[in-house]
Amino acid sequence: MALLLLLLRPILILSLFHFAPIFHSEAALGSVAEEDFSEELLLRPLPDRKVLAHFHFQSRAPHTNSNGRHHHLFPKAISQLVQKFHVKEMELSFTQGRWNYDQWGGFDPLSSSNAKPPGVELWAVFDVPHKQVDDSWKNLTHALSGLFCASINFLESSTAYSAPEWGYRPDSGSLSGLHLTSSEFESEGVGSGIVLEQTLTVVVQPSSQRTVRIYSHETKLQPSWSLTSIFGRKVSGRCVLAKSSIVYLQLDSSLVAELDSLQKENNISSTDKYVSEDFSSNACFEVSVKPDRVLKELKGFEKKNPSVLYEFSIDKYNESGPFDLGLTWTVPVAWSCQKAPLHVSRFLMGSGNERGAIAISLRSTELTNKLLHTDSNEGRCKLEVKVFQVVPWYIKVYFHTLQVFVNEQPQAVSDVVEKMLVSPSVDKVSPGVLEMVLKFPCGMKSAAITLDFDKGFLHIDEYPPDANQGFDIPSAIISFPNFRTSMQFLKDDSSDKSSILSKFEENSAVLAYTEVLLVPLTTPDFSMPYNVITITCTVCALYFGSLLNVLRRRVGEEERLENKEKEPGWLRKLYAKLTGRPLEPVESTSTSSSLSSSKLKFIILVAGIAVFWQVYYG
Amino acid sequence: MEEITEPLIPANETPQTSQADEPAPDFDPKTMRKTKPGLKRLILTVSVLFSFILGIPLIYKSVEIYRAPLPFLEIDSLSAEIDSDPLLFPCRFQAIFIGFDWKSSITSLESSILSQMTKLTHQGPPCGTCSPNHTVSVVLDSDSHCLQSRTGSCSWKCGSIGAADFDGDEETVDEVLESVVGGCSGSHSAGEVYTVVVMNTGEEVRAVVGKYRQAWILGRVSEAEAVSRAAEVFVKVFVNGGKEEGLIHGEFMPVGADGMVVLSFNLLNADPRDWIYDWDFQTVDETLLTPIIEAMKPVANISVESQVLYHVPKSSLSYWDDKWDSYIFSTKDLPFFVNSNEWHLDTSIAAGGRSKMLHFVVYIPSAEECPLLLQLPDGQISKTNSFISPMWGGVIVLNPQTCRKDSESKHPSRHTLLHEDLQTLFEVFMGQFRQLFGFKSDNLYIGASGTYNLLPSERGFTVWELDVLSRMHMCFNLHSCATTLGSLSRLVQSLPRMIIKDEIGKQVKYSLEAAKLAQTNASLGVYDASAVSSRQARSLAEDAFFHPSIMSVSYYSFEHCFAVYSPFFLPVSMHVILAALREWRRYKKENKKYMVWKAKMKDAS
Repeated sequence: MALLLLLLRPILILSLFHFAPIFHSEAALGSVAEEDFSEELLLRPLPDRKVLAHFHFQSRAPHTNSNGRHHHLFPKAISQLVQKFHVKEMELSFTQGRWNYDQWGGFDPLSSSNAKPPGVELWAVFDVPHKQVDDSWKNLTHALSGLFCASINFLESSTAYSAPEWGYRPDSGSLSGLHLTSSEFESEGVGSGIVLEQTLTVVVQPSSQRTVRIYSHETKLQPSWSLTSIFGRKVSGRCVLAKSSIVYLQLDSSLVAELDSLQKENNISSTDKYVSEDFSSNACFEVSVKPDRVLKELKGFEKKNPSVLYEFSIDKYNESGPFDLGLTWTVPVAWSCQKAPLHVSRFLMGSGNERGAIAISLRSTELTNKLLHTDSNEGRCKLEVKVFQVVPWYIKVYFHTLQVFVNEQPQAVSDVVEKMLVSPSVDKVSPGVLEMVLKFPCGMKSAAITLDFDKGFLHIDEYPPDANQGFDIPSAIISFPNFRTSMQFLKDDSSDKSSILSKFEENSAVLAYTEVLLVPLTTPDFSMPYNVITITCTVCALYFGSLLNVLRRRVGEEERLENKEKEPGWLRKLYAKLTGRPLEPVESTSTSSSLSSSKLKFIILVAGIAVFWQVYYG
Repeated sequence: MEEITEPLIPANETPQTSQADEPAPDFDPKTMRKTKPGLKRLILTVSVLFSFILGIPLIYKSVEIYRAPLPFLEIDSLSAEIDSDPLLFPCRFQAIFIGFDWKSSITSLESSILSQMTKLTHQGPPCGTCSPNHTVSVVLDSDSHCLQSRTGSCSWKCGSIGAADFDGDEETVDEVLESVVGGCSGSHSAGEVYTVVVMNTGEEVRAVVGKYRQAWILGRVSEAEAVSRAAEVFVKVFVNGGKEEGLIHGEFMPVGADGMVVLSFNLLNADPRDWIYDWDFQTVDETLLTPIIEAMKPVANISVESQVLYHVPKSSLSYWDDKWDSYIFSTKDLPFFVNSNEWHLDTSIAAGGRSKMLHFVVYIPSAEECPLLLQLPDGQISKTNSFISPMWGGVIVLNPQTCRKDSESKHPSRHTLLHEDLQTLFEVFMGQFRQLFGFKSDNLYIGASGTYNLLPSERGFTVWELDVLSRMHMCFNLHSCATTLGSLSRLVQSLPRMIIKDEIGKQVKYSLEAAKLAQTNASLGVYDASAVSSRQARSLAEDAFFHPSIMSVSYYSFEHCFAVYSPFFLPVSMHVILAALREWRRYKKENKKYMVWKAKMKDAS
């Protein structure tokens, strides 16, 4: 059986939180008595026939007086990294592909905190005085590039990073979040533990084994999948070192709503059908393993239906009875994930290699309409959007050309832009950074922001290996501080919470990354210097050689020789043919001058033809 | 452009000037001419050629890349010097014979000890030992007389130690001796004093080397035996550190260039599904390791870290042996024991660039290969079930008490290594650590003239061993400085187009200076200063070798230079040289013709 796995978007995020006691919510986490480790897997069917798998591994180390030298379970390398560079918080993500905010949702904790821009993103908060931040950053990038065998050390260059002033921070969402420093570094830092979260988020296309049989329904029916069909293996037991190992299956709130309406059509009374333990009577889909627990989301203020989590504990499975979760759809279901308040996309405008414009377009989704029409009668309803954009220095952005369009009408910048912080780029030193807080009217349908730029020139040494491919402008970060993603799940009072669920409970702002832009710059022909050298040198050599020959020419002797030879040269024959005059024996002095003038004419003719050719056909 | 070199002057077209003259009767224009050939063109072409030749050095200078001058000769002479004339330190020895009534004089005793010592250091002393011209002082202390060869600031008070002092156990004897003799050491700048006390008491001959710088021999020994034993203790134990020949080459010393050693202790659970072992290494660190680290301070700055790793199988398989009723791993497979792909031992982040990492691994085999024993080449089983790898560290295989897996319970059994287990493990660690530094792991030295009991120190290394270590360390530093500088000079000489910055030149210079200083200090016996400058020499040499500008690959090769300049210089130089040659040939030819004509004219007249 050919198993086709389409790996759309593997994201590996390593996030590190060196919790200082100042974070009250995490203080309890930070002060665990022993190092522990937990593993979790969240599976979620997506509307476009794909499945999201989100692995979450969490290691925690308490603060000890050994200064991080002795470890039992926590990776020693990470803890030494934290100790050596005074890292307070750090997040490193490797991403391939792009999160599809429309199809896969943009309003849940996963998309806000785990969807990352393509490539590598690293952010860190240091616990050092302001002057040492840059050095710490450089050392950290080098250490990480060694640890991960990746060229993270290119982030060392000051053109590759920037520090948002009041921009963004996915977790706390507070405005003064990502200062790279903290003034009271002496008092914190000590007496705190480390929490390391390693996550792997993959979106896969399950290949349905029953495709052939139900081909006619295939377009409607969601593909059925199991762990074996997705990952090629069963779970043969938990990791013996893990404190807990749990697999979750999440049904989106909109999916639950859709299922509810389907059940109502079929006249089945379905109050909390998916939450009840009576599981088999479900008409829409079958889950091959009976869940240990079913968790229901506490209703949020804007949610009609709660999303549902099936919890499977791996403790009771072993090699003789492995765990293989499967989901089989029996009824065609179509739903759509909850989207971010505004649909964001970014694109380039203009053509040519000289100038262009960056445009960020924001389109309202149904959510915004729903959410904001309710309280729009107050009249002062505003939708707040924060934009953080880093532009490399060779894209010279003219910030005064900032234009804002609302509902396709140009607007005065001061009406919409609440706050703006611009740090212009410095050539070969630092990138340009733009941070904005925008306030849009609630009834807005669409908005756009444009910025003009000139493309700069790079030195020949500064071009990357494949320069003709173009240059990337990193993703802009769009966050919506008015909207919070937090999922609270009803759970009986078990003392330690699962790490995914506690992560979901964190109240963070909705956040989206835009596309990466590819800007083509004028790239020189890299062999050009050599060509220029060769041509110039040849011309110089010709000139020099002929000059030397002219200097030592003996005109008298040549004339004698010329007179002596009777047959005319081929040049003169050709000239005679061209002019139509009969070939006549030449006289000594006059012919030489006339011959040289005719030679000159011939050379000018050839050069003229060459120039003509070059201009019109070259 | 055609060149006309041949003077084709037909008779009827001779120039007007020659026609005007009286034509000579036998003037042949093919072989003679009347005018002197002109020098104008010759001078022109030759001057162009000459200016070209003059320009070559200028061009060469302008395309030259910057290379700081490196003292290649001095580097070579340093390595040659260190090879031929190893770093030797002055040492002082004191032999005290108590209770002997020998007839021979002190000077003869002294000379016989000296000759014995020279005999023992036959094939030239190795680097980092004492210089062959030892200073030996002899004290002959008996009831009747008290003779002393040299009286310095540290003279022996006769009768300060009697036979009764040697009755106690070895530890107390050692302390008594240290209190009596130990004051001598350190007071002098010219090295430490090593003392051997030979006591005429009891029947059985017993020889003990103490924890400090003393050894004592008890028993009724003859003069010759006493002398040879004292000489052996001096040379083999105090100078050479009681090492066996060829165990670990003395040039290797697991200390980083910055004087740092990181001891990384790892507990490896091969398969945690069978059993999980954990340890409380922090207490071990605090109670057992701290005194050793303190003691090693003069030699190396040691830091300790530990971790527990899981799912780390070894990379080679063992086989079942019925005879031992266990799995056997033989010596020839040992290179494949360490699984460098899966054993994440190296944590270079804390260690920094120059520190030396020493890994100590406790390997707990999985249930599939339990018990696992290491077999020596002679078929015996290793007593400690462990091995070392020089400059890397050591591995101990620790088998669980029962190799039966509790199949009933789903969860693996969790154990924490008890303090007693850790203590025994730690003893093995200590032995391995000593071996890595080149010492014997057991406390018995078997020499040619008898067995010596070496008193072990609770700090891992005794005082005289630390002396040996610091001497060896200096030697090792200088040696590695010389090799590093040698490789640098070879590299620089082999790549003539490599840019060498001034900084590198300076570092090399300072490194050489520091090495010189270390050598002079060592020969004078100033240990501390020598240690500092030798360390400096080594780290400067490594700084120069690992300078980032050397690492960069972008330097233009000579081929590149040739490719850039040849399109101009090749054609032009052809023109210039050919023109000069032709003009020269023509001038010679014409001149000859003129000479012929002139001779004819002379004949005619």
